[in-house]
Amino acid sequence: MSFFGFGQTADIEIVFDDADKRKVAEVKTDDGKKEKLLLYYDGETVSGRVNVTLRKPGSKLEHQGIKVELIGQIELFYDRGNHHEFISLVKELARPGDLLQHTSYPFEFANVEKPYEVYTGANVRLRYFLRATIVRRLTDIVKEVDIAVHTLCSYPDVLNSIKMEVGIEDCLHIEFEYNKSKYHLKDVIVGKIYFLLVRIKIKHMEISIIKRETTGSGPNTFTENETVAKYEIMDGAPVRGESIPIRVFLAGYDLTPTMRDINNKFSVRYYLNLVLMDTEDRRYFKQQEVTLWRKSDKSRLPLHNAHHPQTLSHPSQQMPTRQLSASSEDNSTRSVSPSHPNLMQRSISPSMNDGDKHNGPSEMEQEKPDVITNKLSNAHIDNNEPEDDEEEEPVLEKTLPAEKPLIAEKPQVAEKPVIAEKPVLNRPESEASPSQ
Amino acid sequence: MDRIDHPFLYIWSSAQMTNQASPVEEQEKLLDDALNIVKVQAFQMKRCLDKSKLMDALKHASTMLGELRTSLLSPKSYYELYMAITDELRHLELYLLEEFQKGRKVADLYELVQYAGNIVPRLYLLITVGLVYIKTNTNLRRDLLKDLVEMCRGVQHPLRGLFLRNYLLQCTRNVLPDTSEAQNENEGTVKDAIDFVLMNFAEMNKLWVRMQHQGHSRDKERRERERSELRILVGTNLVRLSQLESVTVDDYRRLVLPGILEQVVSCRDAIAQEYLMECIIQVFPDEFHLANLQPFLKSCAELQPGVNIKNIIIALIERLATYSQRNEGNINLSVVQEDGQEQEVQLFEVFSDQVAAITQSRTDMPPEDMLSLQLALLKLAQRCHPNKLNYVDRVLAHTDKICADIHVASGKTHLEHNTAVFKELMKILKLPADHYKNILTLIKLQKYAPLIRHLNHPGRIMIAVHLINDVLDTDCTISTPEDVEAVLSMLDVLVKDQPDQPTTEPDVEDFMEEQGLLARLIHHFKSDSADLQYLILSAARKTLQGGGARRIQHTFPPILFHAYRLAFLYHELKDQDEMWEKKCQKIFQFCHQTISMLVKAELAELPLRLYLQGALAISEIGFANHETIAYEFLSQAFSLYEDEISDSKAQLAAITLIIATFEQINCFGAENAEPMRTQCALAASKLLKKPDQSRAVALCAHLFWKPVKDGKPWALNDAGRALDCVKKAARVAQQCMDGAVQAQLLAELLGRYALLRERGNAALTTNLIEAVIQKIREELANLDQSEEVEQITKHFHNTLQHLKNRMECPDPEGLGYEGLTLS
Repeated sequence: MSFFGFGQTADIEIVFDDADKRKVAEVKTDDGKKEKLLLYYDGETVSGRVNVTLRKPGSKLEHQGIKVELIGQIELFYDRGNHHEFISLVKELARPGDLLQHTSYPFEFANVEKPYEVYTGANVRLRYFLRATIVRRLTDIVKEVDIAVHTLCSYPDVLNSIKMEVGIEDCLHIEFEYNKSKYHLKDVIVGKIYFLLVRIKIKHMEISIIKRETTGSGPNTFTENETVAKYEIMDGAPVRGESIPIRVFLAGYDLTPTMRDINNKFSVRYYLNLVLMDTEDRRYFKQQEVTLWRKSDKSRLPLHNAHHPQTLSHPSQQMPTRQLSASSEDNSTRSVSPSHPNLMQRSISPSMNDGDKHNGPSEMEQEKPDVITNKLSNAHIDNNEPEDDEEEEPVLEKTLPAEKPLIAEKPQVAEKPVIAEKPVLNRPESEASPSQ
Repeated sequence: MDRIDHPFLYIWSSAQMTNQASPVEEQEKLLDDALNIVKVQAFQMKRCLDKSKLMDALKHASTMLGELRTSLLSPKSYYELYMAITDELRHLELYLLEEFQKGRKVADLYELVQYAGNIVPRLYLLITVGLVYIKTNTNLRRDLLKDLVEMCRGVQHPLRGLFLRNYLLQCTRNVLPDTSEAQNENEGTVKDAIDFVLMNFAEMNKLWVRMQHQGHSRDKERRERERSELRILVGTNLVRLSQLESVTVDDYRRLVLPGILEQVVSCRDAIAQEYLMECIIQVFPDEFHLANLQPFLKSCAELQPGVNIKNIIIALIERLATYSQRNEGNINLSVVQEDGQEQEVQLFEVFSDQVAAITQSRTDMPPEDMLSLQLALLKLAQRCHPNKLNYVDRVLAHTDKICADIHVASGKTHLEHNTAVFKELMKILKLPADHYKNILTLIKLQKYAPLIRHLNHPGRIMIAVHLINDVLDTDCTISTPEDVEAVLSMLDVLVKDQPDQPTTEPDVEDFMEEQGLLARLIHHFKSDSADLQYLILSAARKTLQGGGARRIQHTFPPILFHAYRLAFLYHELKDQDEMWEKKCQKIFQFCHQTISMLVKAELAELPLRLYLQGALAISEIGFANHETIAYEFLSQAFSLYEDEISDSKAQLAAITLIIATFEQINCFGAENAEPMRTQCALAASKLLKKPDQSRAVALCAHLFWKPVKDGKPWALNDAGRALDCVKKAARVAQQCMDGAVQAQLLAELLGRYALLRERGNAALTTNLIEAVIQKIREELANLDQSEEVEQITKHFHNTLQHLKNRMECPDPEGLGYEGLTLS
């Protein structure tokens, strides 16, 4: 572009190799929209071509050099000017000189280390992009293209369950159990709640997934809590001895892997919040951090051909298949142990198949699963309870008086798998107070 | 889901709602609102289904189901809403089923519906989808059923939970595995079905019981009504279990019944226990019950104090009794003993033992219920073991003990009239009576008579009357002295005064009626053997003589008539029994004693008549020494007349009877006849009123002149004295002031003249008769016309007509009326 409307100028296009074959991922942009970006994993080579097209064919373009950069950066929204680049790789494509015609430059960033996953949150954004620049005397011609990066993780399937007894003395004692402490993003939370003592009139119980984004450090720490999902697991008042099953499918929610201390700039953590509401709308809750991780689904691709309709086969028959796939492809990721309580989870979702969802036209109508789940889950979860905007929780002040400590600590029962946290059931919900 | 076969409709239609929290109109409005939303959402859902937009359809379905989350509706309204919604859900189900069967499976549908944020809509959808999965792939059946019933735990609200689980039960009713061996273990066997239903049942029962303990105590009544409206939901589980065809007796014993009973006993809720126990009895087949009587009855003993165990056990007893009858008592009942051995036992034995255990362990049981149980046992014994009288006796013995306990508890010696226990005992007593229709069987029951004594006085009378009526209706005879004694001791209350009878005089009519019945009963004391009959009569008299004047006047006459008849019987048997004369003598001695007892009881007219009747019998039988005895009887009668009868009318009647009796008796010689007839004539002439005197004296003529018998005239005929009598009667008649009376007496006398003359007394000449006729005519002419006079005239003319007839065609054997002029 030229200030005076004359002189040569050019358009830059960045074309990635195997763009047509590569998977895409949806990534939120900072204005809240979603866009589909090519997906790369850590260590993968990013390669392609930079095409420069001259606006006025025939006349030359003078430049000081052409380069392409691969940049990974963290943008803190309160600090717009400063971007923290954790990756910055440069490839020179051309020495300073004149361009006389359309030119295409191949580039390759081989085996780039991409340590973090792309993320767009309330206060922070982590992005990767390629930037091609034609350096000129006055204004450079620049083209930026974002790419998506997913970090894959692997945990053994046998993980400690979370089991804890919490309560308010002489009022409510419950024992709850989540089958794992680390869940992958398409996982199912299976668990149960056992009521040991109930002296309050419970109206219902729900599990919510809270995303807590912490940015900055020291005095400049900002914490943003977001309730990603709300899921009613019990209706009505149980009595002593009742045990209530929990089963929450995570695939339908908009979740990211847990991120801890990313480049010392921010963290994203997830909590399962078990909330009991009594008939006077007091809330009793217990938050429990869980680690979310992204599981590679590559290994499934060859096994489930999405173009064949998935037949309903019995879950326990399906199990060995999965086990097989796990050991053959990616032994570090999934070693299903026979003692794993996963059985239940499997049995409930007979045709659950991650491969289907992402890789083939599912037989369902146009809508994508997460759209559906939003439809279902948002249908009316809130339609008869007060809008619980954290700040205006009405019970908050009432139940806070200091002279009556409402929080009773119960010593951990020794033989239970210990979670390094005080088993405290908080009451009332005080989501307004930031960071615990 | 089917409206028609759902038992609810009936129940609701009769249930009336008064919900305090939201009155009727408000309920209607709430329900209307909800139904409107359902209508709209269902329409949208179906439209989306038509366009194959499944996800949108699911969303509408979920919104529609959201209406079931309400807490504002009464059970009745909630039921209507539930019906409307589940009807609509069927569209979804059918659509999915069709799609699946066409091979167009929707991936992950089972998972997808679980994203619904609210649990109630989520579970309804899950069940609907789960059903489609099961129907299209039976391999999933076992696990899906398990999962569904488990996930439903999330709804702990009683009303919503009950309906949700009802939906689960309705949906799965046709897909439960019902084979004992599965080809594919994933399809499940009937054991999985049992587990499934039992689990659902246990949870539903818990929810149902929980309703009782929620809310304000002042709403207790309403809550209990609502609960009873909902009970069918819980009971349906049991129905479903009973519909599993491959459940064997063994499965039932090991799995089904223990599962149910455990829930029933442990829920500790009277309403639930009572209903469910009855449910068990009604829904499962008889064979199952027979094989499991002991565990069932043991559980009965463990139920809550408030439970009306009586009804439960009675229902079971009646059911099995009917079954046993249907199989003509051929039921094999084996019981596992404590040592593990099977032993064949009688149905009754099991029940008897268990009922005894239950009544013992449940001290809170009202005594009338204990009695009802005995009543049921009694029925069982009678229906299933008609030959075992000792069973009946055992029940009666138990009953006796219970009654004794009641007396101890109440401090009274008898059961009060019209109390519940009284009525029950009454039923127990009437049952064998009506069943056997034979009092002889009853007296074989050792405990029957003692049981009657537990009733109070009116009660005993009622039962006694009932028993007697039975005897009279069936016309059975009591034919040994022992039986007679037993029967009478059973009817003690009618036979003699009771220490507890009311001090006020009993109602005369009632009393007469009771004694009348007793008297009729005595006629059934009959034996074919004459000797035995005598013993029977003495036994009866011995017992009955304790009854006092008021009773013996009713009860002795039948004994006496029995005795007279017996004497005649001996007379007939005189060829076979040499001793007959002695026996007859003894009988009449017995009669004499009996009558004198009546005399001692200050009765007069009755013994008088009985003496006369006796005298007649004696004269006819004619055994040795009979004249003396007849004379004795007659003279006793006469002395009764003289000493005891003072009323003039009674005197006339008595003397008439005495005269008539004497006239009938032919055994007297002059020695005995003379004083008797003289006394009679004397007594007749001493009557107070002239007309009485006239009539009695006229009758006395018959004492002196009897008709020809067996071709021979009576040896003691005395024509002159007969004439004197008639003449005297005429004279006395003419002394009467009233012309009409005079005319009547003369008219009667004319008949007497004619009769005596026709009987051959020539002393009564035609002239005399003419004079009388003349006299009557004179008197009649003086009388004014009146109805009375007309009758007399008619009487007179009839007599004249008779004379005229005789004159025209005279009796060849009697005296004629030659020379009589009637003009």
